[in-house]
Amino acid sequence: MKLKTLLATTALAGFLAAPSLAQDLDAMSAEELLPLAQEEGTVTVYSFTSRIAAVEAAFEAAYPGIDMIGYDASSTEQIARLQAEAAAGIATADVIYISDAPVVLTQLLDAGLIEAYVPPRVDGLLSDEFKSPLLSQRLSTKVLMYNEEAHPDGAPVDNLWALTTEDWAGRVIMVDPLQRGDYLDLMVEFVLRADEMAAAYEAHFGAPIELDAGVDNAGLQFITDLFENDLVLVSSTDDVNAAIGSIGQSNPPIGFTSYSDRRDNEDEGWALQVANEVEPSNGIVFPALLALSTNTQNPAAARLAIDFLMGDDSETGGAGFAPFYVAGDWATRSDIAPHPDAVPLEDFIGWSIDPVATAEIRQEIADQILILQ
Amino acid sequence: MASISPSAGQKRRFSLPQGLPLKIGVLIAIGLLIAAPLLRILFETLAPNSISAWNDVVLSPLSRNLLWIPLGNTMILGLGVATGCVLIGGFLAWLVVMTDIPFRRTIGLMATLPFMIPSFATALAWGSLFRNGRVGGQTGFLEGLGLSIPDWLSWGMTPTLIVLTAHYYSLAFTVIAAALATINSDLVEAAQMTGAKRGRIFMGIILPVALPAIVSGASLTFAGAVSNFAAPALLGLPVRMQTMATRLFGMIEIGQSARGYVIAILLIAVSALFLWFGNKIISGRRSYATITGKGGRAKRFTLGTAKYPLFAAAALICLLTTVVPVVILIASSVAPSSSALFSNWTLHYWIGASTPTIAQGQAGVFYNPFIVSATTTTISLGLVVAVTGSILGLMIAFTLARYRTGFLSGTINQLSFLPLLVPGIAFGAAYIALFGAPMGPFPALYGTFALLVIAGTAYLVPFAVQTGRAVIQQVSGDLDESARLTGAGFFRRMTAITVPLASRGIAAGALIIFVKIVRDLSLVVLLFTPTTPVLSVLAYRYASEGFTQFANAITVVILVISIAATLLANRLQTKSQPWLKN
Repeated sequence: MKLKTLLATTALAGFLAAPSLAQDLDAMSAEELLPLAQEEGTVTVYSFTSRIAAVEAAFEAAYPGIDMIGYDASSTEQIARLQAEAAAGIATADVIYISDAPVVLTQLLDAGLIEAYVPPRVDGLLSDEFKSPLLSQRLSTKVLMYNEEAHPDGAPVDNLWALTTEDWAGRVIMVDPLQRGDYLDLMVEFVLRADEMAAAYEAHFGAPIELDAGVDNAGLQFITDLFENDLVLVSSTDDVNAAIGSIGQSNPPIGFTSYSDRRDNEDEGWALQVANEVEPSNGIVFPALLALSTNTQNPAAARLAIDFLMGDDSETGGAGFAPFYVAGDWATRSDIAPHPDAVPLEDFIGWSIDPVATAEIRQEIADQILILQ
Repeated sequence: MASISPSAGQKRRFSLPQGLPLKIGVLIAIGLLIAAPLLRILFETLAPNSISAWNDVVLSPLSRNLLWIPLGNTMILGLGVATGCVLIGGFLAWLVVMTDIPFRRTIGLMATLPFMIPSFATALAWGSLFRNGRVGGQTGFLEGLGLSIPDWLSWGMTPTLIVLTAHYYSLAFTVIAAALATINSDLVEAAQMTGAKRGRIFMGIILPVALPAIVSGASLTFAGAVSNFAAPALLGLPVRMQTMATRLFGMIEIGQSARGYVIAILLIAVSALFLWFGNKIISGRRSYATITGKGGRAKRFTLGTAKYPLFAAAALICLLTTVVPVVILIASSVAPSSSALFSNWTLHYWIGASTPTIAQGQAGVFYNPFIVSATTTTISLGLVVAVTGSILGLMIAFTLARYRTGFLSGTINQLSFLPLLVPGIAFGAAYIALFGAPMGPFPALYGTFALLVIAGTAYLVPFAVQTGRAVIQQVSGDLDESARLTGAGFFRRMTAITVPLASRGIAAGALIIFVKIVRDLSLVVLLFTPTTPVLSVLAYRYASEGFTQFANAITVVILVISIAATLLANRLQTKSQPWLKN
C-alpha cells in the first residue's frame, strides 16, 4: 500500500535523525521533560471525549508556558484524519487519546502512525495488559443494564441465555454492532469466550448446547439465537439508555450499554442499573488508550501530556484525571481508589477484552452478523 | 471586455465545433475538483489489500445483506421520495407562483424551510407522534391517547419515506417555483383566448415548460434520499431496515473502509444510471425558451371555490413539515429529559453557567469559547462557498444548457452531479490526500480556509447546477446568439444577459448552497483544523458526548442563520420575484 510505504519512509527518516533522542525522552521524568516541553511550547491532543477541555485547563495551570490544544473527535474520525494526514505528509497531532482498541492496533499502531509510550512514573503501577501494546488510561464498559424501577429486587435475568428465550423476544435492545465498533467487540467477546458461554448454556437449560449447522461455537450460537429472538437494534447508545431506563415503564426492555451512563439517571429520568450477577458475564470492559503520534513535532510536551493524563499520586488522580474519575469508569492505575458510587473493578464481572485477539477475528464475526441480519 | 473575442477571431473559431473551448475549460475545472478526488477513492478500493472488498460486497454470501437488500431499500426510498417531493413541491410551487391562493408569501417562505431543518429533527417529530412500544422507553403521542400503532407505521420504510419527503420537498419546490416564475403569461393568455381549458393549459404549456425543473427537482431529491443517513438510521434500524447509507456509515465506523468505499462507488454508479435517464428526458426533448427579450407580465389563475380547500391543504403540509419539527427541535434544546420534551424546560443548555449537578458541569452553549469564532467562520464559509459554488455552477449550467448534446456535455453533466452521492467524510478524506501536501509552487492547503472553500465548492456544485440549469435552459438562445454576433465575449454575454435573466434560479441555488454548507457536517469534519471549528462540528461534539440538548441548541442557531439568510435573500430578490407580488 502506498500509504504504508510513505509512512515507513517518514518514520525511518525520523529514526535516522534522532534515534537516541526518543529513547532518552522515554526514560525522562516529568521534571526532566518540563524544560524541553516548555521550549516546544505547545502540544495537540486528539481526544475521543470532550472532557479534554477540562484537562486542558488543568494542564495549562500546572505547566504554564505550554499551550495544550485539545481536539475532540470520535475514534473513527481520528483514525480517518490520522490516515489522511499521513498520506498527505502532514502531522498535526502529538498525543492520541482514543477508544476502539482493535481498530487502533491494526490501522494505527501496526501501520506505524502512532507509537507506545509509558511514563516511567506509572510504569510500576500498571499491570502488563495496560502497558502493552499501548498504554491504557482507564476502562469503560458495554454491559447488560436493566431498569431498576421496574425490577427493584435486582436484575430480571441471571444468565445471558435467558435473553434468547421467549420471555425476552423483542425485548432485548442494543446498538447495531455493524455501526458501532464497541458493540462489535462485545459480539466478538462472546465468541472468544465460547467455552464459558457453553457452560452457562448448560447451567441455564440443564442440557449441553447443541450447535446449529454452520455454527461452530457456543458464542456464535448465542449471537444467532439473540438475533433470531427479534433483537431490537438502534443507532445510538442514548436510544438504548432511553429505551431501557425511562421511568414509568411496566415492561421495559433490557440491553447492552455503558455502565457509566447510569450517572445521567437523574438528568434524563432514567433508572439504569447494571446487572452484575449474570452467568457467565454481563459484557465487556475495554480500555481508553493513550499514544504518541509517530511524527510528533513536540516529543517532550507530548510525553508530558500523557504523564499528566495518567493522573497524579493522590487518591483520586488529581486534576489531570479528575474529568475521568466517574462512577462506571475505572482507572487502570492500581493506586487510584475506585469511585465510591460504583461496583469496584475487582467485583465487576465484565470480561476484559483482548484487543489483539479481538482484532484477529473481528471482521469474521462482523461477516457472520451481517448474514444473520 | 469585447476585445477578448474580437469578431475576426470569432469567425475563425467556427471551424471548431461550437462551444468546444468552453466545454473543455469546464471539464478541466470539474475534473480537478470532482473527478480527481473520486478517482482517488476508487483507487483506494483497487489496492492489493482492499480489492477483495469488491468480491465481498458483490459476489459473496454477504452480498445479500451487505448490498442487494440495502440497495433495494435505497432505490425504493430514492424513487418514492423523488416522486413525493415533485408532487408536493410542484403542487405548492404552482399554488404560490401561478394562483391567487391567500398568504402566498408565507406559504412560499415556509415551503423553503424543511430543507433547513435537520432530517433527524423531522424523524424525531415523527417518533414523538407515531412511536410505538417496540423499542421501549417513551411511546409517542398517539399511543399515549390509547391508539395502537402498528410497527409498519412506527418503523421502517413507510415512516422513512414520509419523513424524507417532508424534508426534501422544499428542494423540489425551490427549483420548480423558480422555473414556473419565468413562464411568460403571454403563453397562458394566448391559450386562454383560444378557449383552452385549465387542464389543457396545464398539460400543454405549464408542464412541458416546467419539465427541466421537475427533472432537476426529482434528481436532487432522489440523490438526497439515497444518501440520507439520519432518517433511515433512526426509523429503519429498529426493524433492521438497512440502506446503502446506513451500511456505508457502519462499514467505515467499524474499520472496514474498503467495503464502505465499494458500497459508495456502487451507490454512485446505480444512482448515476437513474439520473442518466432523467438527463435523457431533458436532452431528448425540444427546447422551450420562455425568457425572451420581451418583458413578461404575471397573471394568476383564479382558483374560485377551490381556493380555500387548496389553501387548507397547503397550510397543513407547511405546518406538519416546518412548525412541528421546529417546535420539537427547540423543545429538545430546553428539555432536561429527551423522553419528556415538554416538561421542566430550562435555558441552562443555552445560557447556564457551569454547575456540577447538570450535564457533568457543562456550561450553556453561549459559554462555549468557540461559539463566536465558530459562528463567524460558519457564516463566512457559507457566503464564500455560495459565491464560488454559484459561479462554477453557472458556468457548468450554461455550458449544459447551450450545448446539450455530445459526449463532453454528457460527461460534464454526469460529473457535476456525482458529489451529491459521495459520503462527505470520504470526499473530505480524498481532498486532504489530494490537496493536503504541497503541489509544485502551491503550499499545502491542509487546515486552511481555502481548502474548505475548494472542497465545499466542489461538493455543492450539483445544487448550483441543478437549480441554475433549469432556468438557464429557458433563457432564449437568440439573445445569446445576437450578442455574440455583435461581438460580445463569453464573460460579457454572461454578465449582461444570462446572469440577470437567470438570477432567480441562481439565487435559489446560492441559497441552497449556503444552507447546506452551514449545516453540513460530514464534509467539514476532516477538513477543518482542531482550533477553528464550525457550528456543525460543535453540535456534533456535543452530540457524540451524549449532550443532546447542547447539540440541539447549536442546531437551532444554525437554523436561525439559515432562516435569516432566506429572509434576506427574499428581500433582495423581491424585485425579481414577481410571483411574490400581488
